[in-house]
Amino acid sequence: MMLARVADSLYWIGRYVERAEHMCRLSDVMLNATLDQTDAAAQVARVALSAAGNLDPARALSPYEAAMSLVLDREDTSSIVSSLARARENARQVRDQITTETWERLNLVFLRMTSAEAHKAFAGGSSVFLHDTIADLHLFKGAADATMSHGEGWRFLLLGVHLERAQLIARLLEVCFGDAHRGALSDHFALTSVLRMSCALEPYLRVYTADIKPAFILRFLLLDEDFPRSLRFSTARIEEHMSGLAKYVAASAQANPERLAGRLKARLQYADMDELAAQGASAFLATIGDECAAIHHALHETFVAYPLELRLPA
Amino acid sequence: METSLATAGRADDGMTPDPDPAPAPYDEMRAAGGAVRPHYAALARRLASLDAGELAERQRTLERFFLLQGITFTVYGAESSTERIIPTDLLPRIIPADEWARIEAGLTQRLRALNMFLADIYGEQHILMDGVAPRELVLCAPSYRREMQNLYVPHQAYANVCGSDLIRQPNGEFAVLEDNLRVPSGVSYMLANREASKRTFPGTFRGAGVRSIDRYPDLLLSTLNSMAAEWRPNPQVVVLTPGVYNSAYYEHAYLARLMGVPLVEGRDLVAHENMIYMRTTTGLRRVDIIYRRVDDDFIDPLTFLRDSSLGVAGLFNAYRAGNVVICNAPGTGVADDKAVYAYVPAIIRYYLGEDAILPNIETYLCREPTQMSHVLANLDKLVVKAVGASGGYGMLVGPHATRAQREAFADAIRADPDNYIAQPTIQLSTAPCLIDGETDARHVDLRPFILSGEKIVVTPGALTRVALRKGSLVVNSSQGGGSKDTWVLADQKESQP
Repeated sequence: MMLARVADSLYWIGRYVERAEHMCRLSDVMLNATLDQTDAAAQVARVALSAAGNLDPARALSPYEAAMSLVLDREDTSSIVSSLARARENARQVRDQITTETWERLNLVFLRMTSAEAHKAFAGGSSVFLHDTIADLHLFKGAADATMSHGEGWRFLLLGVHLERAQLIARLLEVCFGDAHRGALSDHFALTSVLRMSCALEPYLRVYTADIKPAFILRFLLLDEDFPRSLRFSTARIEEHMSGLAKYVAASAQANPERLAGRLKARLQYADMDELAAQGASAFLATIGDECAAIHHALHETFVAYPLELRLPA
Repeated sequence: METSLATAGRADDGMTPDPDPAPAPYDEMRAAGGAVRPHYAALARRLASLDAGELAERQRTLERFFLLQGITFTVYGAESSTERIIPTDLLPRIIPADEWARIEAGLTQRLRALNMFLADIYGEQHILMDGVAPRELVLCAPSYRREMQNLYVPHQAYANVCGSDLIRQPNGEFAVLEDNLRVPSGVSYMLANREASKRTFPGTFRGAGVRSIDRYPDLLLSTLNSMAAEWRPNPQVVVLTPGVYNSAYYEHAYLARLMGVPLVEGRDLVAHENMIYMRTTTGLRRVDIIYRRVDDDFIDPLTFLRDSSLGVAGLFNAYRAGNVVICNAPGTGVADDKAVYAYVPAIIRYYLGEDAILPNIETYLCREPTQMSHVLANLDKLVVKAVGASGGYGMLVGPHATRAQREAFADAIRADPDNYIAQPTIQLSTAPCLIDGETDARHVDLRPFILSGEKIVVTPGALTRVALRKGSLVVNSSQGGGSKDTWVLADQKESQP
């Protein structure tokens, strides 16, 4: 049992933290790639910015400025600093529900990102700055894992993380391998960068060796069972945590999100790569995106904003 | 000692000005002549062994601890908002065991009497009929809540959490400056300051025999639990906060976390058939006890302020029906009203038949014509306070005011005498503080916290508030005040130098 508002906040902390981490990685890979003045580098910048939701192609011509505003612009609600500010604001609202160790980690990232020195630190070494931020966010997740009770609140936090992750990776894959871009991304350097953006390079190499092909990347990020940023992995966690919440709620009330999560998990578990290749990846990725959105709404309606008339005490 | 009824009615005779102009303030650390008082000896030795750099380093460590914990308030600027910590001083203020014993006895006595007073005025009103406290003064006080009349409160414990402000007068005696029976705050700073000073002076702390305050959260919880109806054996306690933008939000979250109870906002609660429920992920859950950190006016728009969105519509009816307990009870503010304050020694005598152990500060009520004329004649020596204001606002500090300010106040007093009281300017005691790397004396007060439920418990510790500006007597955090840890010693074993 926990307050509906608290569950909602924990869920959003998960989403914002995951979003911030992903955006850091996109920025870092983009800045690193564009140190070379090649066509492939320009392609990487376009991919990174589109995946970050920035659709203006002109931005890719000045990747440093684009990254700077993606990281530090407080006016931009989708910037990393905005995501962290919201995560921390939510954490403050549920300060009694998260452990001090977890809170300290998040507070520390926030303070560093909003301090007067942040712009200077970014300018002085964006790679170090972003690397440290990602490492801090890993520490946050680690502290949460190591110190919070793995009960209801924890499950809401992780539902936020994995729903956000599934949607972000689906979007990255669409930008790289969607029907409109099919075959566009073939350069070895660009493909390696895509793997870096999803933190997948090393795990990929262990499965497919240094043979880097779009079809393999797509299969790895969609269907690998063990890699934590594959869609199959995330959707399996969504299903796991959703059914974990089932024991707290009367079956009739919560059937909907659990059913949706189960269906999405099965979709990834039993997907067929040949079929997918024949019909194009876009339709499949769009379905995943839609179903994640549907789970998000069902979760909100079942646990947070339910009609009081349906839940009056007996 | 101002213990007689004459406190309020004193000054019938020709008003002689205060005898001594301004006695030197009491120095907490040094006796007259500069010798270090025995209970400060160990700390003084430790300070002498640290150079300025080491002290500054410790001050930085302490500030970082507060920042990390999020013990901050937000300053909103044009460009961006920044977070500041409440100014906190490194050096503890130390109170020896015998002095504390007197404070503890005095506070217990005072809260017992004030709870009895509240039970009486919201009951049969004997004290008003006997003329010990003026009827219109009590019943017309803005904090009097007619809605509380004839309502059962367990153990007559109206003020479950009380934070009284004490000051030490130049003669070394502690006196009560103000009672705070509504929603007193600051206890989280007391606890956080303690955490910090254990890190800063571990050796001195261990050697001094400081009494522990760690049990405050569980004592608070058992105080709240003792207010539950006996047919609700496992009461659900919640802390009600106005929300994350309230300046004391950190404290609300902190207490909820340490008691292990939910921290709720008004929007999390609903009233249904005169019961209060909270919205959980699994549906509505009954709430039994609400430790509210929301003022009376805002707790229920149906009963009090109609446009409040911080409270719960229907809460007061549920309370009247006995289905939920509100702590502190609504209407306790009438007992810390600045005018009623003048009658507290008489109230103690009336209910307990005892003299007040802790004296009041001499207080003139402008509602009494003779006292008003004295106040008007001595505005340059007195502190005038508006009865309805708090936090250091609506106040005239006579000796520091300009002629124009005094005249404006004089007009205000003549226009609405009931709304003003006056007190002599008191020299608060001073304690050593770390100011820009040097130790220097600053004025301090003392806010201990008293719990009352089935029994009354005084926490052996307090929040010492510091006026950080040199010479200033204003300790309120809204006006440049800070705080420091307060060590209450268990015994006299540190008396050998």
